[in-house]
Amino acid sequence: MFLSPALILFALYFVYPLGFVFATSTLDWNGISNARFVGLRNYLDNFQSRTFQISIRNNFIWVASLGFVQISLAALVAMILARQPRGWRFFRTVYFLPNVISQVAIAMMWAALYNAEYGAINQFLELLGLEHLTHNWLGEIGTALPSILIQQVFYIGYFMIIILASIMSIPESYYSAAQIDGANVLQQEIHITLPMIRPILVTAMTLAMAYGLRHFEATFLLTNGGPAHRTSVLGIQLYKMFSALDYGHANAIGGTLVIIGLVLIAVIRSTLGRHADASDMTQ
Amino acid sequence: MNGIAGTRLTFSDATAKVGKWLVLGFFFFFTFVPLIWLLLSSFKTNLELQMRPFALPAVWQIQNYVNAIQISGLPRLFLNSVVVSSVSTVLTLVVTSMAAFVFAREKFPLQQALLNVILAGVLVPIIALMAPYFRLTNALKLYDSLWALILTYTAINLPISTFLMHGFMKTIPKELEEAAVIDGASFFQRFSRVIFPLSRVGLVTAGTFVFLFGWNEFIYALLLTSRIQSRTLQLGIRFFVSQFFTDYTSMFAAIVLTIIPSIAVYVFLHEKIIKGLASGALKG
Repeated sequence: MFLSPALILFALYFVYPLGFVFATSTLDWNGISNARFVGLRNYLDNFQSRTFQISIRNNFIWVASLGFVQISLAALVAMILARQPRGWRFFRTVYFLPNVISQVAIAMMWAALYNAEYGAINQFLELLGLEHLTHNWLGEIGTALPSILIQQVFYIGYFMIIILASIMSIPESYYSAAQIDGANVLQQEIHITLPMIRPILVTAMTLAMAYGLRHFEATFLLTNGGPAHRTSVLGIQLYKMFSALDYGHANAIGGTLVIIGLVLIAVIRSTLGRHADASDMTQ
Repeated sequence: MNGIAGTRLTFSDATAKVGKWLVLGFFFFFTFVPLIWLLLSSFKTNLELQMRPFALPAVWQIQNYVNAIQISGLPRLFLNSVVVSSVSTVLTLVVTSMAAFVFAREKFPLQQALLNVILAGVLVPIIALMAPYFRLTNALKLYDSLWALILTYTAINLPISTFLMHGFMKTIPKELEEAAVIDGASFFQRFSRVIFPLSRVGLVTAGTFVFLFGWNEFIYALLLTSRIQSRTLQLGIRFFVSQFFTDYTSMFAAIVLTIIPSIAVYVFLHEKIIKGLASGALKG
């Protein structure tokens, strides 16, 4: 009986919705009138649509940017801070700061920074006499997607903190032994730190990639997928299709998201997760 | 004395040092300067924003903040967010600590399978469930109410919170309950008198997570509400652009006001928050 509230909620909000998504993804349906079974037609339609293709490509750009670039940067900074340079606690606190502020507020701030009329970025370039480098950052096809990506990728705080904690739990004696053997800082990081933090890196990458797949807020608020769908992602497309009451195509996107998510996790586990067991023993 | 090796060492030391401080400086700049720009701009006139973007405000425009509160309806947004986040946190903790207790202590058929299915919920990209959540909320007659969000957030956090609570409860020694059983404690009393109080650390970890989720959630607040009265803070921010129109600096003031509570909490608790995250990471 202790279990029943959890089970009821889980059935209502996970089991039923997943079933609903996959079932209705095979229908031609506006949510109200009679539905018509169309098999996998909605999936085929989606994959042939130019906007969907751009969206799914952008999702993979997000997955790679967050999973590889953001995590690498976070690991680099964590390695620097783990050696406790002057003010490292202060840097750690500041880097994490954006993580306690909502994505929405952060996105609104960047909308202002990128703004072509009063935004600080263009004004700064003008101040340096670099007028030719100014852009309508979020409005131009060439700069829109990179602008939104940068705004997320360089906020490394969360992953930096968990990687830092993992590095700092490595026994000091490993490093002093390496030092006696004449290993320099770079060699120590490559041969001691990296193998030791491998499990946490895999976890962080999995999380970051999942965020890349689910990406929605910043794009919705900064460009809503524009200009010309160039910044669109699957979440944005799903929202637009759903708002247009196209349940079939919307839920086919939802189904695609769920499947890609599972495949992604399976791929990460099988390619990167292999050595996780050995290093678990040290904890 | 080996001159060459000595020089080489200092040279690479110097490069490494410069590189190190460049990296630290870059991320500091990226994280901090935009926030400071936003804060300073929120005290300027709109003309100053255009003409003197990097100067301090000539006169600190407190009026911007008065405008911000009047135009945006911030107090109501704020209150809604507090209610939604706290109630969903309490609900999640009650529901999942009960479930986690059963999973950690009782034996029944398919127990492990059931637990795994619930925990696998973490893997579902919640964004894919827009359509069913919308229909479910309508079917429950909750559309456009705070309860729509409270229930949705509670459910979304079920897997992660069960995971955290179950992981924590497994570490509590069984002997403590056995003593209580000898004293004649019932199943419910074992939970309410022994395990629940002992789970404080786990409850705080899971609670912080769920609260922050509710505080920052945007997509389902957008999808499941429509009236101004049921908007949360994050959803409200989205409408600032249309509410403030061309009064950018008052809009900045409104954004600053939405950020201040989080930063205030962070300033006081940052050591605890970072430590909590770090220890969670090592266990997971």
